[in-house]
Amino acid sequence: MDLVFSEADLDFRARARSWLRDNIPATARPAHGAAAAQFDRDWQRRLYEHGWAGVNWPQEFGGLGLPEVQQVIWYEECARAGAPNYINTTYVALMHAGPTLIACGTEAQKAFHLPRILSGESLWCQGFSEPNAGSDLASLKTSAVVDGDHLVVNGSKTWTTDGQHADFQELLIRTEPGSQRHRGLTWVICDMTTPGISMTPIRTMLGDEHVNTTFYDDVRIPLANVVGEMGSGWKTAMSTLSFERGTGFIGDQLALYERVNQAIELARRTRLEDGSLAIEDSAIASRLALIKADTLAIRAMTFAQISELQRSGNPGPKGSVMKLLVTGTSKALSHLVAEILGWEFMAFNGDRAEHPWTYEYLWSWVYTIAGGTSEIQREIIADQLLELPRAR
Amino acid sequence: MYLALDADEREIADAAADFLANEFPLQRLHASARDPERLAAFAELGWLGLAAPEAAGGSALGVVEEMLFFAALGYQCGPLAVFTQVLAAAAAQENIELCAGLCAGQVGSALLVTPPNGDAPVRLVGDAAAPYAVAVDAAGATLYALQGEYLHEQPCLDQSVGMYTGPAQCLQLVQHSAGEGAWRRAQVAVSAMSMGIAERALAMIVEYARERETFGRKIGAYQAVRHPCADMAVRNEAARSQLYYAATALHEGHADAAMQVDAAQLLAARAARMNTDANIQLHGGIGVTDEHDAHLLLKRANLLERLLGAGRSLRASLLAPEAGEEAH
Ligand SMILES: Cc1cc2nc3c(=O)[nH]c(=O)nc-3n(C[C@H](O)[C@H](O)[C@H](O)COP(=O)(O)OP(=O)(O)OC[C@H]3O[C@@H](n4cnc5c(N)ncnc54)[C@H](O)[C@@H]3O)c2cc1C
Repeated sequence: MDLVFSEADLDFRARARSWLRDNIPATARPAHGAAAAQFDRDWQRRLYEHGWAGVNWPQEFGGLGLPEVQQVIWYEECARAGAPNYINTTYVALMHAGPTLIACGTEAQKAFHLPRILSGESLWCQGFSEPNAGSDLASLKTSAVVDGDHLVVNGSKTWTTDGQHADFQELLIRTEPGSQRHRGLTWVICDMTTPGISMTPIRTMLGDEHVNTTFYDDVRIPLANVVGEMGSGWKTAMSTLSFERGTGFIGDQLALYERVNQAIELARRTRLEDGSLAIEDSAIASRLALIKADTLAIRAMTFAQISELQRSGNPGPKGSVMKLLVTGTSKALSHLVAEILGWEFMAFNGDRAEHPWTYEYLWSWVYTIAGGTSEIQREIIADQLLELPRAR
Repeated sequence: MYLALDADEREIADAAADFLANEFPLQRLHASARDPERLAAFAELGWLGLAAPEAAGGSALGVVEEMLFFAALGYQCGPLAVFTQVLAAAAAQENIELCAGLCAGQVGSALLVTPPNGDAPVRLVGDAAAPYAVAVDAAGATLYALQGEYLHEQPCLDQSVGMYTGPAQCLQLVQHSAGEGAWRRAQVAVSAMSMGIAERALAMIVEYARERETFGRKIGAYQAVRHPCADMAVRNEAARSQLYYAATALHEGHADAAMQVDAAQLLAARAARMNTDANIQLHGGIGVTDEHDAHLLLKRANLLERLLGAGRSLRASLLAPEAGEEAH
């Protein structure tokens, strides 16, 4: 084992640090709406134009073709510099649609979409979940029939994050009438401007409207948009989810590290109601120290994971271990800071920049539910890592 | 940057695991109340001198190799005397002859867990008849000559080790080695043993959950059993990755190594404490019996958590301002 970064890694880090220092947007990201999406597109375009987009993507698709470790370094530097969080409206495009197309797409699909994803021109959303198919995704019902060289889709999807801003969607549908469960599904690229698509927002407990229900009424999608084989959509979808659960949250793990350091700072200067400093409270100090230790472990696990990837080419079920640890630690941090802040915690207008701790507190349930709930992650670990007898 | 075992490291880890599984299997602790230390068996294969200087007959390997060995030792609840002896050799490193004798297992040592402090009584674990006792803290490692006849035995929760109290007068300073090197190595070794215990607890319950049936199903098919097992795995992954990172940072002399090691110790202690607990609960009635192995892990986890003092002291480095800076 070694923790020595190569000359190339160090050089990359130095260049990233200095570029970020000079190029961080002067204005804060708008909290909601079209202005927020435009801000995300502009930042991604800037990264693309200056040669920072797709650090670990193959060069032939406009990426930098650099090793995974430099991708991690990039996110570390972004978190340290306070650069715009990449878990924004570009997330689905960059973190799973792109990698899925690289792994399963046709040459034409790659040539058209990948540069647009990297440059921020195309935003994507994910259309997997349905009102009656969440954890049990394979029970989904939205279906399509073939009509000439098109699929005609009818049904509905829900929880479509940032769907109102998206240009394209990863759409998982049933294309074989009467098929059951994992069979007969197809993963298809859906152009969101196609006639017959409508969307209604779902207001969340954060007070915002970033998720939607999407309806499909005779929506015609060219067969050329099928990714992977017709009827093998489950395989393509598992590839998408492995990116989401595997390496998709690396930047977030590193941002958590910065948040913990901010919480320590906060505890050092915040007085509790009895007038004592929060950091001097034994119960608070011991919880905070453990949270800090967990974030160090998360960073170590990130490097262990990419070392393993380098060796075997597969992140494996360890992605679920990571998701549980990251989301659990994030939640523990939010709850602890809520205690430290006392009444200050109750001041909340829904703006992430203004009230970050209360916002993160409410968001902590999104973390433990979206992208596969914590219970489902434990199922995956029990099945795949521990090989326990199947529950289902 | 490579945070997985390379071929040499894997070889050491496998060799240690094989040796311990053959010579010191966990089940041995049912046979006799006190665990025979058999230091010579370890010395013969060089395990006592992994990181000791070559002049003292050691292999002059690093803290990473030592960590891998202690993880394997923890997995079998191996003799604690091995840990004590490695520290004693570190304390004696400026006295090559004595250091060599300790590495060869010719002279034994006991561990001072409450070191001399004025007139207050001292506490030791290990063999009261050993000629030496060792104490370690962040300031250095100290070797004393021990006069065991003044000690009183106190029955210990972990019955495999002896626990004694006595007057400070039973100790006479022999050798002091200043600096925090031995302390950090001790932290890494204790963390590694705790991690080994936590991993053994998970392996034990997974094996049982695949076999035991209730209501016509394997208990491993019940989520009330599966999910705590998954949480055990999460604690182990966190503890292992952090320990690998910390040991490597220490070996490479990183500025934040102390903080990394403190974090590793906290996480390994948590994994051992919580996994040995869950292991007993998920075994049901058989888990609380004396003939079962589960309680051996629980008791050793408690011993290890106290061995280097209360975990409270670990907070300072983790909560220091800007503690994260050096990590990058
Ligand atoms: C804010 C937000 C954004 C999202 N964004 C998207 C998106 O963009 N695109 C998309 O496709 N989806 C998205 N999702 C959907 C998300 O993936 C699902 O909500 C999630 O998979 C859970 O499904 P469900 O909501 O139907 O809950 P259910 O599946 O109905 O689960 C209910 C409860 O039962 C538990 N449970 C279910 N099955 C089991 C089991 N076998 N064992 C143990 N416990 C079980 C669950 O853990 C949960 O606690 C989003 C969700 C949220 C909250």
